Amino acid sequence: MKHLHLLCTLLFGVAVLLFFGLAYPHHLHYQEEYQLFLFDSTYVWEIVRLPGGVADLLGRFCTQFFLFAWVGALIIALLLSAVQLLTLRLASSWTSQTAEPSGEWFYGLSFVPSFLLWLFLLDENALLGGVWGVLLTQFAIWGCLQIPKGWKRYIAIFFAIVILYWMALGGSHYYRIPTTFPTMLYAAWLSAVIIPLLMLLVMRSKKRENAQQKHYSLTSHLIPLTSYILMSLIMGSLVWKNANFKAEKVMQYDFMACHQQWNRILETVNAEKPNNQIGVTVQNLALAMHGMLADHLFDYNQNGIAGLLPDVKEDATSPMPTAEAFYQLGMVYVAQRTVFEAQEAILDFQKSGRCYKRLAQTNLINGNYEVARKYLMALQKTLFYRDWANKTLTLLGNEEAIAKHPEYGRLRKSVYDNNFFFSDHVTPEMLEDLFFSNTDNRLAFEYLKAYYMLTGDREGYAKLLLHTSNKQ
Amino acid sequence: MKRYIHSYFLPLAAALLLLSSCANHPDVPSSSKAVKSLPAIFPDYCNVTVPCNIAPLNFMLPADEYEACVARFTTSDGQQQTYGHGVKVQIPEAEWHAMLDASKGKSIKVEVWGQKENEWLSFSPFEIHVAEEPIDEYLSYRLIEPSYVAWTYMEIAQRNLTSFEETQIFNNEITMNDRTKGQCINCHSYQNYKTDNMLFHVRLSNAGTVIVNDGKVSRVNMKRDYTISGGVYPSWHPTAKLVAFSTNMTRQAFHTSNPNKIEVYDLASDLILYDVETDSVSIVSNDSTLLEIYPTWSPDGKYLYYGKSVPLPEEMDGQDIRTTYAKIQYNLYRRSFDLATRGFGEEELVYDAASDDKSVTLPRISPDGRYLLFAIGQYGCFHSRHHDGDIVCLPMAQYTGTPLNAENTSPVDLTSVNSNGYSDSYPSWSSNGHWIMLASRRDDDNYSRVYFAYFNNGKVEKAFLLPQEDPELHISLLKSYNRPEFMVEPVRISVEEFSRVFDK
Repeated sequence: MKHLHLLCTLLFGVAVLLFFGLAYPHHLHYQEEYQLFLFDSTYVWEIVRLPGGVADLLGRFCTQFFLFAWVGALIIALLLSAVQLLTLRLASSWTSQTAEPSGEWFYGLSFVPSFLLWLFLLDENALLGGVWGVLLTQFAIWGCLQIPKGWKRYIAIFFAIVILYWMALGGSHYYRIPTTFPTMLYAAWLSAVIIPLLMLLVMRSKKRENAQQKHYSLTSHLIPLTSYILMSLIMGSLVWKNANFKAEKVMQYDFMACHQQWNRILETVNAEKPNNQIGVTVQNLALAMHGMLADHLFDYNQNGIAGLLPDVKEDATSPMPTAEAFYQLGMVYVAQRTVFEAQEAILDFQKSGRCYKRLAQTNLINGNYEVARKYLMALQKTLFYRDWANKTLTLLGNEEAIAKHPEYGRLRKSVYDNNFFFSDHVTPEMLEDLFFSNTDNRLAFEYLKAYYMLTGDREGYAKLLLHTSNKQ
Repeated sequence: MKRYIHSYFLPLAAALLLLSSCANHPDVPSSSKAVKSLPAIFPDYCNVTVPCNIAPLNFMLPADEYEACVARFTTSDGQQQTYGHGVKVQIPEAEWHAMLDASKGKSIKVEVWGQKENEWLSFSPFEIHVAEEPIDEYLSYRLIEPSYVAWTYMEIAQRNLTSFEETQIFNNEITMNDRTKGQCINCHSYQNYKTDNMLFHVRLSNAGTVIVNDGKVSRVNMKRDYTISGGVYPSWHPTAKLVAFSTNMTRQAFHTSNPNKIEVYDLASDLILYDVETDSVSIVSNDSTLLEIYPTWSPDGKYLYYGKSVPLPEEMDGQDIRTTYAKIQYNLYRRSFDLATRGFGEEELVYDAASDDKSVTLPRISPDGRYLLFAIGQYGCFHSRHHDGDIVCLPMAQYTGTPLNAENTSPVDLTSVNSNGYSDSYPSWSSNGHWIMLASRRDDDNYSRVYFAYFNNGKVEKAFLLPQEDPELHISLLKSYNRPEFMVEPVRISVEEFSRVFDK
């Protein structure tokens, strides 16, 4: 029987791993992008001093590994499997091992909290701290049940409640939007306690019967297995139905732009034309990076100038691909403002490794080395940005090295010569000034030409062609 | 078993105590190479003059250049003590205050050794002069990311300047959770450095001004049909329950290549007087063609000083301010005030900055009325974003009714206070008039920090940075210290009490 349980849990864990690794990897990247875990005592203290802080901290710690989607998927798989095993263990502990709940019809119920947490994690605003909150609660209950009945257990329960409140129960940072009540998480939390209790009640009523039937039979395997399969089918289909694959696609485009995977972007759009704002923006940026934007503009889905350089909105996610385009074009100040504002718009007031990295880069290009140093010093306290930060720190103030750098050197040459005010809406003047002050800026040329084509500005288009033909 | 554990615990505690003691009071290096220069410590506390009650001046050597730092402090009575842990020198508060007490009116000699590539270097010693005059015990500021338009969590905090204690006066957390109801908090202001009468603004959701009147908190809306906005930049009358405000229609614009990055300007601005007792608003000045800003009372309450723009050249009339912003310049004016009648006298031009192609903002008169501080820049009203922003100090005795200007005045020499090429702004006086405070972006050109400088009879000493328990905080903190204001006592109303006025 024990092997059967382990097999079922393993199968569940593998399903979770494959789901997040194959079908939902960019949701994990998204989570990682909108937090910044620092190995810093002040940072840690600021989190753990609050009720629920330990669960929150553990969640944030694990989320930093989501930079690598398969590692993130493995972490989630392990956590959800642990929740299931503990649900089963609690039921066993409560029944004082006089009966075997795992051999019953309701064995499948032990997977309910884990499936509910899986459903919870489908939402991009769900935070992993919530899963840790459930797990810590289960650990605390299990720990109390290990103490023999009597006053010692009551004292332990009292202290467990107090400690658990500080570690998990009192927490509010389990969902990115603080005013939204994460119903699915609390349903999972409740079920993680109620289901073992339910098992206990049923088992007590069957205590005598079970005691008499404590021998091996085929049904003792078939019954739990059937309940497991049924539960998996019902809950699995719910997971699949509630998964937001549309958002996953958008996040994929954003991820590819963030990591400058221009070839992969073109492969993706060639396989399936994007039908969302971010996808079109990223597609156009990748085309421009390959020098193909103007010539192949209408071979791909377009959304007017809103698909080229959309207006910057006041949220944390939609401006990021546009900011990438601003940055690559050489509109470094514009990119800096866009990224800064996006980071400020993160709903749970967290910082972002991606944003810090870009702000360090824009400040480095602008020659604001001390500001860049601040961001780099923070990134030095991370696990996965540390090497990059150390490397980039050596560039600060080193004009020669920056000039020779393939990205920073190019962008320094591409920035605006003339100063004027910019707004949230990109105007042709912004692109014209960028290109005509440095006609070697090929990307600006591509975007300007595309801008004229999309707006039907024949005069501007002719002027641009005349300029390039004169140059030749 | 218990005895067994205890027998380990006590020596362990003793060892820890010994270790911490070693870390705090290390030996000076037995041999070192002399370097004939001052140590490159951060913050730069070399040869500064500090108040006799200031918190420990902890400092550090650059972590990317040095492995360790040891500093020996010698007070004028010959007492010596050494400090140093890693590259940081952090002095326990009690020991520091004992050193200050012993050196009041004298100096503390500081010798610094830095270990670089396993070799100890000994730098030229410097002195910390301890003034006899204390600084106001409290300072308040808004901590905020130097953002563009979007903002997130922010707080108004108060800091005890004799220690490192920092507490919150108010934060926007309560309503920030809902972006559509988000609050921006700003412009904290106190009457006569005391906190029983104070105010700050809250914008967007539940907008208004939170006013504390004799310790009682209320929220008021100062917008009237006849004003262009609610109160913005405030100044409490020193004795009466009156607050002068500018009303502003403020806008921001963003540069594509100008390193100032952001331009803050007013489409319109006027002056109003708010009566706290009667909740009435009266107009002080509302010239629709010109911009009035930053009112401040003279310490006796008999004059209201403010900045006022000069008319633009005719050819620029009617043009979009986004093209004319660099031509908008403010002069400094004042009007007499009769408390009995609440009437204002005629406008007097005090300082004509425009004649020198400059713009004046943020005037502050010293508590004894003898000196005038203001911020100056080439144009505009928001020098905290301008690299050329500097502080100017003029003896008021030079003003005899004839407008002062760059030609006919001899300003106090503030070269030891102003930075070179970075924004220095928001000047103010301590209540005893011996400490000038300013907000400066000199450390990194982006995050404003609080600097103090000793002032005595028109002589000013080198400015020094607000001390922190961990000197690295000023490098790592990604927040600006906004609108630093001296207080002689803390704000005693809690964040929760302030929050209650938003329930109504």
